[in-house]
Amino acid sequence: MNIVVCIKQVPDVTEADLKINKDGDDIVKDDLEMVINEWDNYAVEEAVRIKERHGGKIIVVTLGDEDSEDILRRALAMGADEAIRIDEEGFEGSDAKGISLALYHAIRDLDFDLILTGAQSSDVAWGQVGVLLAQMLNIPYATLAMGIEIREEKAVVKRELESNMFERVELSLPALITIQTGINEPRYVSIMGIRRVRRLKIEEKDMDDLEISQDSVGSSGSIIESKRVSFPLEGEGAEILTGSMDEICERLTQIIREKGGM
Amino acid sequence: MIPQREIFWNIPWVWPFYLLSFISVFIFFYGLLKHILFWKEGIKKQRIRLLLKGIKDVVIDGIFAKRIFKGDISAGIMHLSLFWGFFGLFLGTILLALDHYLISFLKGKPYLLFSCTLELFGLMLIYGLVTAFVRRYIQRIKRLENKTEDLIVILWLLLIAITGFLLEGVRVAYQVPAWGKWSFVGFIIGNIFSRQTALEIYPFIWWTHVLLSLSLISAIPFSKLFHIMGSPISIYLNSEPLQITPAEDREGRFFYLKDLVQLDVCTRCGRCVEVCPSNGVGEPFSPRDILFMLKERLFLHRDKEFDPGLIWYCTTCGACLEVCPIYVAPFRIIRQLRSQEIEDGTRVPPIMIQTLERLYKYNNPWLSTKKKRAEWAKDMDITNITKAKERGLMCYFVGCTTSHDIRAQEIARSFSNILKRCGIRFGILGKKEPCCGDIARRLGEDGLFEDQMEDCLSLFEEYEIKEIVTSSPHCFYTMRQEYPALKKGYALSVIHYSMLLESLIKDGKLRFEKELRLKVTYHDPCYLGRHNGIFDAPRNVIKAIPGIELIEMEHNRENSLCCGGGGGRMWQEELDVELKMSERRIMEAHNTGAEIVITCCPLCLIMLEDARKTKELEGSIKVMDLSELVLMAINRRRS
Repeated sequence: MNIVVCIKQVPDVTEADLKINKDGDDIVKDDLEMVINEWDNYAVEEAVRIKERHGGKIIVVTLGDEDSEDILRRALAMGADEAIRIDEEGFEGSDAKGISLALYHAIRDLDFDLILTGAQSSDVAWGQVGVLLAQMLNIPYATLAMGIEIREEKAVVKRELESNMFERVELSLPALITIQTGINEPRYVSIMGIRRVRRLKIEEKDMDDLEISQDSVGSSGSIIESKRVSFPLEGEGAEILTGSMDEICERLTQIIREKGGM
Repeated sequence: MIPQREIFWNIPWVWPFYLLSFISVFIFFYGLLKHILFWKEGIKKQRIRLLLKGIKDVVIDGIFAKRIFKGDISAGIMHLSLFWGFFGLFLGTILLALDHYLISFLKGKPYLLFSCTLELFGLMLIYGLVTAFVRRYIQRIKRLENKTEDLIVILWLLLIAITGFLLEGVRVAYQVPAWGKWSFVGFIIGNIFSRQTALEIYPFIWWTHVLLSLSLISAIPFSKLFHIMGSPISIYLNSEPLQITPAEDREGRFFYLKDLVQLDVCTRCGRCVEVCPSNGVGEPFSPRDILFMLKERLFLHRDKEFDPGLIWYCTTCGACLEVCPIYVAPFRIIRQLRSQEIEDGTRVPPIMIQTLERLYKYNNPWLSTKKKRAEWAKDMDITNITKAKERGLMCYFVGCTTSHDIRAQEIARSFSNILKRCGIRFGILGKKEPCCGDIARRLGEDGLFEDQMEDCLSLFEEYEIKEIVTSSPHCFYTMRQEYPALKKGYALSVIHYSMLLESLIKDGKLRFEKELRLKVTYHDPCYLGRHNGIFDAPRNVIKAIPGIELIEMEHNRENSLCCGGGGGRMWQEELDVELKMSERRIMEAHNTGAEIVITCCPLCLIMLEDARKTKELEGSIKVMDLSELVLMAINRRRS
């Protein structure tokens, strides 16, 4: 059972004070810590668990700059066997189709039975790359997986639907599955684990290696362009308290009292 | 006739005795070998040197079992009688054998003395055994967990002692020697039997006694009696200072000889359970049970179910080691287990993963960015060593919690103010200050600990820092005890700020002029007190303030109760049960009648402060850091 996992590096925004850049089309990422996209982390864990049960090897693929080697090493430490980085140069500003195309070219000649991707990424949240990739490879796919069982030449996938409902679908292999968070509990990756894989070679590919022309990817190849990002507007009933800690606390308790919360 | 004992009197068939002795000694050594083979994987890793302190400890804590008396005199007397009774009789048997096979010397007066002494040893053994029985099955002392083995061992030894006396009595009854009264117990028993019965029953009793004794010998390595052999090793190895093997040189299961011997020789006396703060508030954690489970899995190869989640309860407070008669340190073994769980990765609780990832990303466990690390010092005009031209300044190592937690920041501000008032030159590392590695190390993330240590050391080197004073006892412990264990030639002088305050008072640089009429109590932080032996410095600082009355809590100094914030517990509220460790502690402080509980650790400060709120004691007791108290006392001068 050979598995390819597509992963992506994203900024960690959980506790950060976000700022929007000058052009207003993205957030300022300089001070942000870069991490593996949460959904992809579950995908790598799921791949490792499938490998532990059925054997085979895992190849992780990412499209990104040199810094994104960190998440590849992390995946190697979790139990992946090989890693490929598609260099980001020329791909900047790609829409989902551009990214899928890059992955398609990197993956199509690999020997695989299963491709796992995160259901979406936390930064742009398109949720399209996995599906587009499956279309390009012309293989069956299932989205939002909350459980995968491999039976002979088939994958039985438990899909998460709305209102606490699940659907069970069967795919013949090779297939692509997009992973929902919560499908498993991803293991902890220790510093020693990462240190142990620091010498493993990461294969690098660029646009030319993948025989992709510039007009099909990047901003020029995109049909979608990010125009503006913004914070939610302050609406009715929302108030941001300012001042010293004591003042904020005082005002807060006052509001809670006024609204009958105490 | 010269007083002496005829060996094998009235025993016509002696050869089965030799055969059985051989078998029992063979089984004994076979069992011993199994233990040694179990320790083997730890022997190479363990540093073993000839240490005078080790030998001294073996005599005092082993042969005289001094630590058993601690807090339980009855147990001390029981064990001492049991041990000396057993050991004395064992020596007596050896003397008898020497007398029989080598040189005959047990005759005349020496024999009478010998005979009489053995009577005493026999009585001591019986006294010890009866007390043990009473403590376990009549008094039912809570910390003693009774397993079948415990009962068998007592009864077995008791039977040996009784048949021994019986045997003597029967012999005296038949032989009626003139010196019979010297064997006073045997003499009394002898009165019961007629000469004829004595002659007839003697061989039966003799064989019973022999079989019981020989089987006991062979059972030693297979029962808790093995502690006779293992305890001295555990006691001796305690003198070897902390040893840390770089994470890179470890793979999979990693235990030092010390760890393996300790879990092997634990007799489950339960003192550690009794003092464990986690167990004390009803959490499902018991140091003894974890050790026993480990022994069952690793040594006895029993496939015991074990919830790996349990190892995260330990606050590493060290109370267990403090009370263990043979210096077993469950918290160290648990730390090793954590390290193995971390490297495996698959069973680490999600909340722990969050803490560790945060610690890695932000270099602090508080979800606060590196930029905010020196925010407390804003407008305080404190030298930033990384920006100043001056080299060799004393470095105030603030630490993560003191830097980022709003309440704990008061420690940094108060302490800096005190130093300024005393005219002490110092600096901080500002934004560049890394985490010292305490949390990573406690949680078993040794790779991260080493990285953080290297970060600290390279900063110290870059800015020629030689002297460090810390706010947290945790940074203090890590830098004072763990860095040197990993780094050869480590020569930094690290002190905790309470020690600096104490010496400032001694030197007359810190003076209190006005009285501060307050009743206070002092909470010993585990990592300052138990782990570093600093009990008096903070107390001396408190007592130096005129007008202050210091009242001690029930648990103080080395018996102090953990606030529940150490060992990573600060960031795992999920493990808390209805009563929190900090709440138990604040109640104890409150019960002293003190107005303020003083501590000198940022974690203790936060934990106790929270407990004060949840226990609704805000009106009746305050929590203050030592630095805050001192600053308050000097500020009095101005008012």
